Amino acid sequence: MQNNLLNELWQISGRLHPLVVHFPISLLWVGLLLECIAWRKKSDQFQSAIGVILWVGTITAALAVGLGFILINQDEYTGNTITIHQWSGIVTAILSGLTLYAFISKETKSYRLLLFLTVLGVSFAGHYGAMLTHGEDYLDLSKEEKTQKIALNPTLHVEKLQGKIDPNQKQDLGIEARNIIANHCYDCHSIKKSKGKLRLDALEYVLKGGKEGPALVVGHPEKSEMIRRIKLPASDDDAMPTKGKRLTKKEIEILEVWVKQGAPWPGVALKSAPSTAAIDQEEEIEENSSVVKKSGSSEDRIMNTSEMPVKAPEVLNANQLQELNINVRTILAHNCYSCHNATKTKGGLRLDKKEFIFKGGENGPILVAGNSEKSDMIRRVKLPFGHDDAMPTKGKRLSKEDVAMLEYWIQQGAPWPSGPEKSLYRVAALEPRMPTLPKATAGLNQPIDLFVNEYFKKNKISWQKSVDDKTYIRRVYLDVTGLNPSPESISAFVKDTKSNKREVLVDKLLANNEGYAQHWLTFWNDALRNDYSGTGYITNGRFGITKWLYGSLKTNKPYDKFVKELISPTKESEGFIRGIQWRGTINSSQSTEMQAAQNVSQVLLGLNLKCTSCHDSFISDWKLDDAYAFANVFSSKTLEIHRCDLPTGRMAGYGVLYNSLGKIKETNITAERLVSLADILVQKKNGRLYRTLVNRVWAQLMGRGIVEPVDMMDNEPWSQDLLDWLASDFTANGYDMKRLMRQILISKTYQTPAMGLKESQMLTASNFVFKGIMKRRITAEQFADAVSQSFFPLYSDSALVKKMLPADIKNDIPFVRASLVKNDPFLTALGRPNRENVSTSRISQANLLQALELTNGNKFNLSLRKGAEIWAQKYQTGESLVKALYLKALGREPSFKEITLAVKYIGKKPSVEGIQDLVWAVTLLPEFQLII
Amino acid sequence: MKNQWNRREFLQNTSTATIAALGLGSPIASLMADPTSPLAKKAATADTVILLWMAGGMAHTETFDPKRYTPYEKGMEGNRVLSTFKSMPTAIDGVNFSEGLQSVGSVMDKGTVIRSYVAADLGHILHSRHQYHWHTSYEPPQSVAAPHIGAWISKELGPKNPVIPSFIDIGQRFTVGEAEELKAFHTAGFLGNEHGPFLIPDPSQGLESVRPPVGMDMKRFESRNQLYNNLISQSAHGEFGSDYQKESLRRSMEQAYILLNSPESKAFNLSTEPKEIYDIYNTGRFGLGCLLARRLTEKGARFISVTTEYEPFFGWDTHENGHTRLEGMKRMIDGPIAQLIKDLDKTGHLDRTLVILASEFSRDMMVEGRPDLKVQEQVKQPEILNDIKFYGMHRHFTDGCSILMWGGGIKKGHVYGKTADERPCKTITNPVKIDGIHQTIYHALGIKPDTQYEIEKRPFYTTPDGKGKAVQDLLA
Repeated sequence: MQNNLLNELWQISGRLHPLVVHFPISLLWVGLLLECIAWRKKSDQFQSAIGVILWVGTITAALAVGLGFILINQDEYTGNTITIHQWSGIVTAILSGLTLYAFISKETKSYRLLLFLTVLGVSFAGHYGAMLTHGEDYLDLSKEEKTQKIALNPTLHVEKLQGKIDPNQKQDLGIEARNIIANHCYDCHSIKKSKGKLRLDALEYVLKGGKEGPALVVGHPEKSEMIRRIKLPASDDDAMPTKGKRLTKKEIEILEVWVKQGAPWPGVALKSAPSTAAIDQEEEIEENSSVVKKSGSSEDRIMNTSEMPVKAPEVLNANQLQELNINVRTILAHNCYSCHNATKTKGGLRLDKKEFIFKGGENGPILVAGNSEKSDMIRRVKLPFGHDDAMPTKGKRLSKEDVAMLEYWIQQGAPWPSGPEKSLYRVAALEPRMPTLPKATAGLNQPIDLFVNEYFKKNKISWQKSVDDKTYIRRVYLDVTGLNPSPESISAFVKDTKSNKREVLVDKLLANNEGYAQHWLTFWNDALRNDYSGTGYITNGRFGITKWLYGSLKTNKPYDKFVKELISPTKESEGFIRGIQWRGTINSSQSTEMQAAQNVSQVLLGLNLKCTSCHDSFISDWKLDDAYAFANVFSSKTLEIHRCDLPTGRMAGYGVLYNSLGKIKETNITAERLVSLADILVQKKNGRLYRTLVNRVWAQLMGRGIVEPVDMMDNEPWSQDLLDWLASDFTANGYDMKRLMRQILISKTYQTPAMGLKESQMLTASNFVFKGIMKRRITAEQFADAVSQSFFPLYSDSALVKKMLPADIKNDIPFVRASLVKNDPFLTALGRPNRENVSTSRISQANLLQALELTNGNKFNLSLRKGAEIWAQKYQTGESLVKALYLKALGREPSFKEITLAVKYIGKKPSVEGIQDLVWAVTLLPEFQLII
Repeated sequence: MKNQWNRREFLQNTSTATIAALGLGSPIASLMADPTSPLAKKAATADTVILLWMAGGMAHTETFDPKRYTPYEKGMEGNRVLSTFKSMPTAIDGVNFSEGLQSVGSVMDKGTVIRSYVAADLGHILHSRHQYHWHTSYEPPQSVAAPHIGAWISKELGPKNPVIPSFIDIGQRFTVGEAEELKAFHTAGFLGNEHGPFLIPDPSQGLESVRPPVGMDMKRFESRNQLYNNLISQSAHGEFGSDYQKESLRRSMEQAYILLNSPESKAFNLSTEPKEIYDIYNTGRFGLGCLLARRLTEKGARFISVTTEYEPFFGWDTHENGHTRLEGMKRMIDGPIAQLIKDLDKTGHLDRTLVILASEFSRDMMVEGRPDLKVQEQVKQPEILNDIKFYGMHRHFTDGCSILMWGGGIKKGHVYGKTADERPCKTITNPVKIDGIHQTIYHALGIKPDTQYEIEKRPFYTTPDGKGKAVQDLLA
């Protein structure tokens, strides 16, 4: 009892150290101040006050040292900082005593010197003390950025991490757990501070634990001290963390599952401290996003199912029943339909309709409603892989969760509501919709901004200040014409004081029909699979549409007309639906008619028909017959339906995918059918066509679509209102693409500062939250043009694909623009796609092959060399050259430091080699390559 | 009450997860992969692949599967001719190769000859289309861009040595006829550019690809890089927070700089090879390509393709003078290939390097395409030979082709499959198709047979529908 009390007193006194230290600090400072005043005024009126101050200061300094010793033993501080603090504190206390002694002895000279030194000492010790309490960088103004928490991985789901997991999962889980620990615990339990003798910044320390024993018991979250403490209510004495935010429920769950899974600790650096390993990790994530790896079968994932309690039947309401049924049908669709549906009915069993699933197959009924244990279906999906009765026989086994879901469903009596079945998949509305415009608020009057404002309010996001003129003008130039603004136009624009100057600029640029056409040609060439070389041309199996496309863009052809001419084409625009014909036999899902169906639906309707051109889709409600009916419209002879390249003996009908749009004219003449199809598709009531287009334009200008991926328009938009309004407004105002762009370009939304993302996967993540325009990388064509424009033309006249372009193209171009030349290794490396397939977005991630092409590729480096020879003649001094280059390439003056660096490199009288290297370096700056 | 809450939550979680798993870009799906599956492969037996590509259609009866030899006489019946060369013994007892390939024959104790490859029937002979099929295992066209086998390997295994590009293609120029068709499969397709081929059209110029640009010495190259780094730190966007576009740009530029500055880049310099060895390889671009492939293998390459180069009516694409032309082709390949195998064996690299020799299809004097399946005749070949220019295999034959394999876990001194000894000399036992060949290669590399990616919501496997199976009988 006595001991406890003493112990507590002891502890409390230790904690008083941070309080007590402020006495000597402030007192000694005041003492020095008074002494200075006294010295200046040559008076001694403060002598007695100084005396008291020095006495109290010295005593509290000594006291602080004493309490410091207690504290240091309690809280287990380690590291250099504490040592420095300790010794400087002791020295200060001694100095302070000496000062007092000198003061009393009236040794004025040495007293003054000592007082000065003491104050110096107390400040020094105080600074190190503050570092211990508030962190090393507490004086750093950029601290906020530095101490930013590590972003957690939003895709990690605790429920997927139960049971047996693979090394990749383990790695992800380990990294995530380390992130969480770093975010919440490192302040007190790491190399700089190890409170309670506990460090959590390396696995060995975590396992070793602190003075209260091990922090965790591997495999047993419930026995782990660390888990117990983070789960305690904040008021509990043992609760952790003591400072800062408590852990979220999800974070706790992740740590629990992490302990359960053996506390994996991957040896990679965390994201906050970039290192090669951390970067590799990022790359892995990036790759997963563009292309999702789905390899591997997982035979024993269901092993732990028994651990999962099957809950007793409960009464569900109609909505819950519906939801449960949809969940079950989703599982069946993914795992069973390929063998048990209308087309393929193995064992006489179909699982795609209510009546069949209850009827069962050759071996009798497969389920007993209300009794999952007696249901054959459950028995089979639970059997180990390789067992004769095990299901599914092909593909992945069912996950533990899926099995549990099926069991639960059967326990509930296998509900399957009658009436029309609700789709398993999200299907976007076809009809257009004009949402009501939110009321105008202060500073906002653009419809786009009003909708975005609604969205911002809902998501608690505040508007950022619009970007400055220089950023804005470069953005708009690159988006409308694909070119950088000239230094003259930048300065004129900056100087312009008119309040509507941004609108004026947008109008001026959009009025540049040629520049607009030359830039947007690239986007449409990608999307419409139009190129100047490529497969098919050799055997007359492919047709270019460049003349038509260029003309359509230059005259800003209304989009409905544009689509009509692509679908019901003239000789000049037929290349799109004619597809690419290879010699020889072709898989029936790749016939040119099917290519037309696939490309029209993907590019114009944001709908993927590729699965469906082989078999009924497993990922949507689309059927093989729908795809054939659509393809048949393009065909000169009736197509026979082939399933996975095998003839079915059935002939295709005609259809337009969305029957409510109307019926194709019944005729044998293909051209007439195409007219009919074009008329049907461009109707205003086909909201899908126009939503797809406005979403594509939005994505080009803003760096991310309202719906992503832009080819999957059934996905949920982040703002349905905005998407619907843009589409309806577009059709109500002449299908005018430039008008649409104008609205976006002058909106406040477009003028927000550009957001960067840590990883590209976040761009298409389903939980994406729109906060403003995204940072974009310039395209291969924009890069080539920017170099041509600001330094030396990369392409000569001979590179122009004259035969495929309008005869008078030379009058339209300022120089040979990269959108008008054949693809080459340089452009390929920078991301121009091989246009064998339609392509509607480009990857903005750089890679090694690209860097090699830029580092030593002939095309780029020889052009720079030629340009350098000319510039060497033109500019007599290094400084003038550097200034001109920065203005032309980056739209700004170089800083003094940049001039110094660059001139030092190229010489006062610039050398050709120097210029070549300087331009190379400048064009590879992120500042040159990114649109912010 | 509590129970109620749990159940609802359970439903909610499950449905979110299921829906998430449906979506494109969901790594959850990737988390579900389970390496302990019985389908998962045993440990890899190879780390590196060298593909020796006999471009243009190499006749099996004139090379690695010789049949009865009939010397040329004016006025002879074409149908009598199965081989225009004598048969010569190899290191495998009872197995003969065609005359002119004795050196390759002498290293067959270290490898396997497959005599039963059956190429696809694409209805029409187009070399580039069959080559596309061989290299991707998918028939063109495809609705998404199919990756080259080298790109798959690069994607799955990454570079073996980080400064050597993981997919290197030696010897093919893209200025020839059908160049666009060749480009269509010399690509990583949907796997993304970074897995695409690092092209070295001329191996003797290989060094050019990995050294500073023309006219720049190493010193200047280094200071240029220094300047770049200095200017980045001065540039307005230099110190902004991390951002994947900027990060990847800087990282890639650094890697490129490291490669060009690395000791590995010296592997590209063939002039440092001892003269007597260099001379054995130096039969032209193909032979030097083999030498470069060997040197890069020693430094840690992952996948290298060396081609005799496809150009319509050149190389193995013999539409006339087949016999005479093949004498030259054999001189071009025989010495370098044998030396490549010997060198790799001597340094121990052959154990972990799978070397494959293959061609898109075979040739025959009389049969076009596949026996019994009429294909439009593309080569005028008379029944009676009155000119030696008609003496040779000039038509395209898909039903029996030879493939050689060495090292990396492949059986030694082994023969697999058999073709008929009379026309049509087609496969009669153990036919093997392209998906089986690819899966055998993947198996040796430890890449699971059901490796797949979801692209545009569809699964895309290394071989169509994930159906191909490794040919177990080829594996040691």
